[in-house]
Amino acid sequence: MMLRVICLALASLLPSVALAHNVITSVFPSGQAIEGEVGFSNGDMAGDLLIEVFDDAGAKLGETRTDADGFFLFTPEQPVTHVFRGDLGAGHLAEVTMAADEVALILGTAPKSAPVTTGQTSATLNASASAAGLSDQARAEIATMLRTELRPLRQELTAYRNSSDLQSILGGIGYIFGLFGVGFYLAARRKLEG
Amino acid sequence: MHIVDGALSNPVVIGGAVAAVGGLALGLRSLPLERIPAAGVLSASFFVASLIHVPIGPSSVHLILNGLAGLVLGWAAFPALFVGLLLQAVFFGFGGLTVLGVNTVNIALPAVLVGMAIRPLLARGSPLYGAIWGGIGGGLAIAATTLAVAFSLMLSGDEFVVAAKLVFFAHIPVMGIEAVLTGAAIFLARRVKPELFIDVKGRLA
Repeated sequence: MMLRVICLALASLLPSVALAHNVITSVFPSGQAIEGEVGFSNGDMAGDLLIEVFDDAGAKLGETRTDADGFFLFTPEQPVTHVFRGDLGAGHLAEVTMAADEVALILGTAPKSAPVTTGQTSATLNASASAAGLSDQARAEIATMLRTELRPLRQELTAYRNSSDLQSILGGIGYIFGLFGVGFYLAARRKLEG
Repeated sequence: MHIVDGALSNPVVIGGAVAAVGGLALGLRSLPLERIPAAGVLSASFFVASLIHVPIGPSSVHLILNGLAGLVLGWAAFPALFVGLLLQAVFFGFGGLTVLGVNTVNIALPAVLVGMAIRPLLARGSPLYGAIWGGIGGGLAIAATTLAVAFSLMLSGDEFVVAAKLVFFAHIPVMGIEAVLTGAAIFLARRVKPELFIDVKGRLA
């Protein structure tokens, strides 16, 4: 009876709480900067977290903090691989890498000095926008709007990728029973031989 | 509770893997034929338990149920919990494959120690007496696991006290819930299958 009650309670809990507890991190170009987000797969975002930025050799490039919604901005200065790392404590580590060529695209292709090349960058990046007759300001506003619109979608997508459905739960239990069944078989055979 | 890939330094990961292999070998040797089904069931409940989240403030923690495995299985909790952890890593991405050894030791070793300390008390007295000791064991196993997690983080450079406080306090509600669950499970087992806690001499550590 008690067991049945416990089982029922567990079963009723499962669908709503069957969420993994993983750290989700992503970075993407955002105008002249790199925007990123850090959070847990259950939808909690990591607010006010120190994000350290390293290159691929491990040298520190700088640091930034996440806002209350787990978003951070970092303006790259060199077209090298950027590794963003945040320690959420208790063994949760957020780490995400943006490849050198992506960073170079943000900065413009010339690697020497960033500020000089910005004009050239925006020229290539804005080709389509200026063709449509949009001012830089309107373009920036549209970009911001698009990012805001896409944000929930992106979050949902990552959460979905990290969610665990009933099939995999049942599959896992099946694997466990199968494995212990094989173990039982081997142990029984050895016992019969002996 | 699961430490993820990349959070620990290499020596800690390797040390954990070696310790886990040792524990597994010991556990498999002390797993008699008639205990294998029990180990399978406990492994499966451990596998599912981590999907049950307890919301706490801004974050949430999940159940672990390692204490129960340790109380029933002794050293054999090592293989049972290892299998559960392996499948959690593969299916849900909890923890990771490189830190599997460390996670196994962090979760299974406290379970085994609690089992060794409290198991003899479970068969004594009334079922209720056994259940109370079972509850204490269930809570203790979680507490010890948080300390083990903090210890592995410390070996990798984190400040022990900070890490320990963070993990320990976040898991106080889990300790309470697991104490009740473990106590209930032990109570039930004492009522319907009391021989579960009587060791065949020399078979179970």
